[in-house]
Amino acid sequence: MQNHVGIERSREAQQAQTVKIRPRWHMTVLHIVYYFIMVAFLVFYMLPFWGTVMTSFKTNSEVMTSTPITPPTEWTLEGYASAMEELGMPLMTSLVVTIFGAAGSVFLGSVCAYALSKWRFKLNNVFFIALVAATYLPFQAILIPLLQTINALNLYDNVWGLVLVHSVFGMPMCTVMMRGYYADVPDALIRQAMIDGNGMWAIYRKIVLPNTMIATITTFVFQCTSIWNEMLFALVLGGYDSKPATIALNELAGTMAAEFNVQMAGSLILALPVLVLYIFMGKYLISGQMSGAVTAS
Amino acid sequence: MAAITIKDMSVSYNKGKSYVLDKLNLTVQDGEFCVFLGPSGCGKSTAMHCVAGLLEPVDGTIHFGEELMTEVSGGKKKNFVPPQERNIAMVFQEYALYPNMTVRKNMSFALETKKAPKEEINKRVDTMAKMLSIDHLLDRRPAELSGGQRQRVALGRALVRDPQVFLLDEPLGNLDAKLRDQVRYELKKIQTQLGITTIYVTHDQTEAMTMADHIVLMKDGHIMQEGTPNELYNHPNCEFVAGFLGTPQINLFTVRVTEVNGALVLNADSFSLPVPVELVACLKPYAGKDVHLGIRPSDLLITEDGLIPAAVESIEPLGDAHLVYVRIGEQVVVVKHAEEEAPAAKSLKLSPNPAKLHLFDPSTEKRINP
Ligand SMILES: Nc1ncnc2c1ncn2[C@@H]1O[C@H](COP(=O)(O)OP(=O)(O)O)[C@@H](O)[C@H]1O
Ligand SMILES: [Mg+2]
Repeated sequence: MQNHVGIERSREAQQAQTVKIRPRWHMTVLHIVYYFIMVAFLVFYMLPFWGTVMTSFKTNSEVMTSTPITPPTEWTLEGYASAMEELGMPLMTSLVVTIFGAAGSVFLGSVCAYALSKWRFKLNNVFFIALVAATYLPFQAILIPLLQTINALNLYDNVWGLVLVHSVFGMPMCTVMMRGYYADVPDALIRQAMIDGNGMWAIYRKIVLPNTMIATITTFVFQCTSIWNEMLFALVLGGYDSKPATIALNELAGTMAAEFNVQMAGSLILALPVLVLYIFMGKYLISGQMSGAVTAS
Repeated sequence: MAAITIKDMSVSYNKGKSYVLDKLNLTVQDGEFCVFLGPSGCGKSTAMHCVAGLLEPVDGTIHFGEELMTEVSGGKKKNFVPPQERNIAMVFQEYALYPNMTVRKNMSFALETKKAPKEEINKRVDTMAKMLSIDHLLDRRPAELSGGQRQRVALGRALVRDPQVFLLDEPLGNLDAKLRDQVRYELKKIQTQLGITTIYVTHDQTEAMTMADHIVLMKDGHIMQEGTPNELYNHPNCEFVAGFLGTPQINLFTVRVTEVNGALVLNADSFSLPVPVELVACLKPYAGKDVHLGIRPSDLLITEDGLIPAAVESIEPLGDAHLVYVRIGEQVVVVKHAEEEAPAAKSLKLSPNPAKLHLFDPSTEKRINP
């Protein structure tokens, strides 16, 4: 009985509140202001993108005579063709550096994360703190010694030099990202796998990796994006023959000052792989698959 | 197949500040079904994990047969065989099924690791799945199973192997009553057939009584008593053991040992019992003092000429017997009346079976009678 009365009262109280809120004139004004700000931001962000797309499909002469946001009167791919001439090789370089660099850093990070989350050893925590600190390291601070090292290894102006550097410097971030996922693998599973006759590495291969595919994919996508977009190492270590696409695009802007259609086409070409990656990998990044492992209670 | 010998094993989770197990000594004979029994938190799982090699004690040794498995002294590890080389099969309290594998794969995983022949593996998995009635689930993943089904898969996964030792940590905890009885029976049968040394952890005294060759009853990291179920039930060496085994629980009375005309008598407020001749010698030193008297519900008989007057409070029918709750003086006591008819009278006379009296020292709670 009492409960019932309680519910009634709270419903009344709720109604009273909504009634109170509605007529307040300044709330309506606030809403209008919110929408205005949101629309302003939308335009602010989307307009350059719109301009980029429109310009990339124009002929060079039309670029000169029209505003960037008007659609082309005559749609053409000539900007894309010229851009590809300049970006062809660098895109290949970027592709190789991205795939192998991301794979390398994810592999190293994964092994580190596994050891740190599932095996107790001395200085375990010290090691982890050092790794976290490393993710905050500003790369320009170590750029000169790094360049000297890469030179000494005879890897300057070489794709594999970039792959090596990205693997190593991406590793701390990958470790931090994956450690969280690996910590969620129940210890009972690891123990059970030991009882079933498996050593540390067999457990990693047969139990931990298959149950944390999402962690691997997420981290891999993240690494791909950051390596693909990276410029500092690319500029300093890439040299001439193996300069990645980010650098080539920058040069495109520098050398052909007036050809905006080519520059815009180049920008879009460079942005495309990252967009595609997110669209196709998106579904893997959503759901978990750890259920059913241990006692459901 | 091997005996398990544990010597002076101490375990601490906080580097010796406190001990979960304190100088445990235990031998499990080859082929024996040994049950670690005790209330939750007494250290049963901890002891089992040490045997498995998943946990290192701070002191002590563990042998499988002649083979030294663990040797630690003063926190220094001298010898240690890692769990994957101990050839044990284990069921964890938390099941620990591999979520990425089907039931069949879960069950065959250990055998595949040992590189057993394919047909042999399939044959064993199929037989065991049938025995545990999970043969229709072989292609499912753990996430698609109920709690009871998961538990049976975990059990089956251990039983398909051919290990030196079985370690089972509360493997029937999540099954409903009917299934539990059935799986309990199957498990005991399989163990007897295979003759593999088994340690079984449970807090359920019925499971322990029905399955064990050897019960190790623990409390707060100490072994209170070990022996066959019969020994523990009929000769509990302390009040804790007497109270832990048997349902309903043993009835305990505080009685005074008094000497009347040269004979010893046990005196309570509302009754007095003569001391049986076998107990006279051991009760002599307690003359004039209090002792605790334990009588199991089934050892209290309703008779015409009983010496203990009792008033019936309530009656629970069990089908073939009745649990009669009676008041004796201030105390409520249970009587197991093994008749199909409930006693009709409101006040009864009870006489205890004189051969089944358990006497305990009130200060040490240790058994007095031989
Ligand atoms: N990983 C652990 N860290 C610290 N204390 C633990 C840990 N595991 C168990 N304990 C403690 O050790 C005692 C015994 O635990 P356990 O062996 O699991 O008991 P049981 O299996 O008999 O219920 C309990 O008091 C528990 O709190
Ligand atoms: Mg336990």
